Amino acid sequence: MLDVALVLASTGCWFAGALISAVPRAPERLATGLGLLGSLLALGAALHLLLGGAVSGLDFRVWGFPARLELDALSAAFLLPLHLVGGLGLIYGQRYWPLQLAWGSGRSLRFFYGLLVAAMTLLFLARHGLVFLVAWELMAVSAFFLVGTEHEKPEVRRASWVYLACTHTGTLLLTAMVILMAQRSGGLLWTVLPTATSPWFEGGILLLAVAGFGFKMGVLPLHFWLPSAHASAPSHVSAILSAVMLKTGIYGILRVSSLLPDIPRGVGGMLLALGALTALYGVGNALAQRDYKRLLAYSSIENLGIIAMGVGLGWTGRATHDPWLMALGFGGAVFHVWNHAVFKSLLFYGAGALLHATGTRDMEALGGLARRMPRTALTVFPAVLAVAALPPFNAFLSEWFLYRGLFASLGRGYPWSSALGLVALALVGGMAAVAFARFFGTLFLGSPRSGLVDHAHDPAASMLLPMAVLAGLCLAVGLGAFLLLPLLDRVIAAMAPGTPWPPALLAVGLRVDLRLLAGVELGLLALVGVGLAWLHRQADAPEADLPTWDCGYAAPVARAQYTGSSFADAWAPVQPGLRARRPRFRGLFPGGASFRQAFRDPVGEVFLEPRVVRVAERLLRFRRFQQGHLPVYLLYVLLTLLGTFLWMLLRGRLLG
Amino acid sequence: MLPDLLIALTMLSNFSLVATSRVAKAIQFAVLQGVLLGLMPLAMGLGRHFHIVLLAVAAVTVKGWLIPFLFRRALKQVQIKREVDPTVGYTVSLMLCALGTGLSLLLAHNLPLKPGTEYVLMVPASLATLFTGFLLLVSRRKALMQVVGYLVLENGIYLFGLLLVEDMPALVEAGILLDLFVGIFVMGIVINHIRVAFDSTDTRHLAELKD
Repeated sequence: MLDVALVLASTGCWFAGALISAVPRAPERLATGLGLLGSLLALGAALHLLLGGAVSGLDFRVWGFPARLELDALSAAFLLPLHLVGGLGLIYGQRYWPLQLAWGSGRSLRFFYGLLVAAMTLLFLARHGLVFLVAWELMAVSAFFLVGTEHEKPEVRRASWVYLACTHTGTLLLTAMVILMAQRSGGLLWTVLPTATSPWFEGGILLLAVAGFGFKMGVLPLHFWLPSAHASAPSHVSAILSAVMLKTGIYGILRVSSLLPDIPRGVGGMLLALGALTALYGVGNALAQRDYKRLLAYSSIENLGIIAMGVGLGWTGRATHDPWLMALGFGGAVFHVWNHAVFKSLLFYGAGALLHATGTRDMEALGGLARRMPRTALTVFPAVLAVAALPPFNAFLSEWFLYRGLFASLGRGYPWSSALGLVALALVGGMAAVAFARFFGTLFLGSPRSGLVDHAHDPAASMLLPMAVLAGLCLAVGLGAFLLLPLLDRVIAAMAPGTPWPPALLAVGLRVDLRLLAGVELGLLALVGVGLAWLHRQADAPEADLPTWDCGYAAPVARAQYTGSSFADAWAPVQPGLRARRPRFRGLFPGGASFRQAFRDPVGEVFLEPRVVRVAERLLRFRRFQQGHLPVYLLYVLLTLLGTFLWMLLRGRLLG
Repeated sequence: MLPDLLIALTMLSNFSLVATSRVAKAIQFAVLQGVLLGLMPLAMGLGRHFHIVLLAVAAVTVKGWLIPFLFRRALKQVQIKREVDPTVGYTVSLMLCALGTGLSLLLAHNLPLKPGTEYVLMVPASLATLFTGFLLLVSRRKALMQVVGYLVLENGIYLFGLLLVEDMPALVEAGILLDLFVGIFVMGIVINHIRVAFDSTDTRHLAELKD
C-alpha cells in the first residue's frame, strides 16, 4: 500500500510541476523541485519493492466497475529508468532549453515533459484496460507536443505528424487487444487469466500486442516515425523518448503476456527473429547517417530489437516450461532496458551538448571537438563503449545474458530462431562498434571540418552533471552487476505468475560467473590505469601541437580528412537506405566531378511515402463536397436523415 | 381534443413559415409555434406533475419572450425586412414542405409506437416540423432566416420529446431549452459580426472563410 501511494504521489508531483510551469512567469525552481521530489519518491518505492517489498495495490471504481493500480516488480523495473532519466532530464533541460527562449516554447516544453513523465508513471501502474489506454494516449499526445516543440520548422511539424499518425494506429490495435482481453476475462480489470482456452486466442492477443506496441518499440516495418521524431525533438526529450517511451512498448508486451496463462510455442521464436531483423536493420542504417541524432535514433531501433530478442527468448522458455531459458531471456531483456536507458540518454545528452555548442546536427561539419569540449568527450566516451557492448560497461553484460540464453536454447533444440539470433547479435555488436567508432571519431577526433566548431565549449555544469551521473552508472552497473541479480529475479518472477518456477534463478546460476567477470574487468581496468600512468610519466615534456603525418601531401586541409561517410563506406552493402551517385572518370584528364550520397529510410521514405501521397491525391477528389456553404452541409445532413428514414421504411418491404 | 388542435396549428404554421418572405413575419410564426408547443404539456393534461409545469412555463418564457426579444434586437441591428432571393423559391418551398409533411405521415404510420399512446398525430407533426426547420436552414440565405430555421428545428425536437415527457428526466428538457437559448444568443452576436465583416448578412460570403 505504501509503495503504490508513493508512486501515486510522485505522479501528482510531476503533474503539479507541469501545471506550475505552464503559467506565465512560472517559478521554475519550484516546478523543478517538485519534479525531482516526484522522481525520488518513485525511485525509492521502486527500489524498495525490488529489494524485497511486497506487491502493493490500490482498488477503486471507474464508473461503477472495479479498477486497480498496482506496483509489482515489473512496474518497478520500468519506473526505475523512467524516473532516473526523467529527473536528470529535468536538470539538463534547464540550461539546454531556457525558459525565456522563443515565445513560450520553453513553457510548453516543461509542461508536456512533466505530463509525459506523469502519464508514463500512471501507465506502469495501471491494471485496468481503460486506465491503461487513457494513460497511453496521454503519453502519446504529450510526446507529440514535445516532438513538435520547434514547430516553426516544417520538417519538425512533419515528423510530429507522422509520429501522431503512427501512435494512433498503434492505439487502435491496442484497443482491439483490450477488447479481446476483456471478452476473455469478462471485465476490463487486468488479472491473471486462469486457464488456457485455445492457442489461437492467446496467439491473437499476443499478435495484436506485438503489432500495437510495435509502433512504440519501432520493430521493423513500424519504425519509420522514429528517426525523424528523435532527431527533431529537443535532446533531453529525445533522451526520455528513446530511453523510456520506446520501452513502454516492451513493458506492454511483457505485461500482457504475463497475464496469459500460457504462451503458444511459435510466438517466441517469431518475436526473436523479428527482433534480430530489427536490430540488424537498425544498426545498418545507423552506419549510414550523417545526422548524429538520427544515428542515435537508429541505434535505438537496434537496441529495441535486441530487447525484443530477449523477450522472444523468454517466451520460448515459458512456452516450453524451461525456467533457465526464460530467466535468461526476460532477465537479459529487462537488464538491457535499464542499460539502454542509461547509455542512450547519456548519448542524447552528449548530442544535445554538441548541438548547443555548434548548432548543427551534421557530423561532417564537425570534428576535433575533444579539444574544445574535453569534459563532454570524457563523459560521452563510456556510453560509446557501452553501446558497442564492450566490457566493462553495462550493455556488454545484458548482451552476454542473451548470448548465454541463445546458446542454451541452441542446445535444447529450438535451433532456427536461436541460430539466427546468435548470428544477428554478433553482427549487430560488431556493426554498432563501427557505427560508434564513426560517431566518436568524426565528432570528437581529427581536425575541425568547418568554422562552426571554433566557438564550441563545454556546456554548463547543470548539463554536465546528469551526463557524469549516467557515465558513472554505465561503469558501475558493468562492474557491480552481480548485485542486481536478485532484483532481476524478482522481475522475472513477476512475468510468469502462477507457475511454480524455482526462485532466484539468475542469482544462483550467474553469480559466480559475474563475480569472476567483474574481477577480470577490474584487473584489466587497473592494468589500463597503470599503463596510462606509466605513459604519462614518460611524456613529461609538453607535446608540441603538430599535424599528423600527411603522407607527403604538400597542402593538407581539414576537408581532406577521412569523413564519417567514407569511414562507413566499406559497410555500404548493409546500409539499405543509402543511395550514392558516383562520377565516372574517362580519359587521361577528366574534368570536374561530383559525388553525391543521400539517405532515405527504405520503409518509411522509399516504400510508404509515395503510396501515401498517391492515396492523399485520390482523396482530394472529395474536396468538392466541402463547399464552405453552411446550407450545403445541412443539406447533407438532411439527405442522410431522409435516406435513413426511407431505408427504415423500405427495409421491411425489401427484405421481407 | 385540445392537443390535436394545437398540433394542427403547429403544422399549419409550418406552411406559413416556408411561404412568407418577410423576416419579421417568419419570426412571429416561429414564436407562435414555440408558445403553442410550450402549452402542449398542459393541454395534454399533465398539469399534475410539478416538473412538467415548470418546464412548460420555462419553455413559454424562453420561446415567447426571451427569444423574440433577442430577435428584435438583431433585426434592429441588421435592418433587413425581406429574404429577397432564397436558394429555393417560395412556391417550391411550399411544395417541398407539403411533400415532407406527407412523407412524415407515411413514415409515422410505419413507426412502431408505444402501445397506449393517445396522440397519433404527434410523431408526424414533429417530423414535419423537423423537416420544415431543415428546409429553412438549407434554402434561405439571410443569416436571420437560418436562425429561424434552427428555432423551428428545435421545436420539432421538443414536440418529439413530449411523447416521452413523463419518463424523461427534467434535466434533458431543461438542457434542450438552455441549448436553444444559448444557440440563438450566440447566433445573434455572430449575425452582427457577419454584417460588420461582409457588409451584408448573406451567408454566401462565409464561403470565403474556407481554407
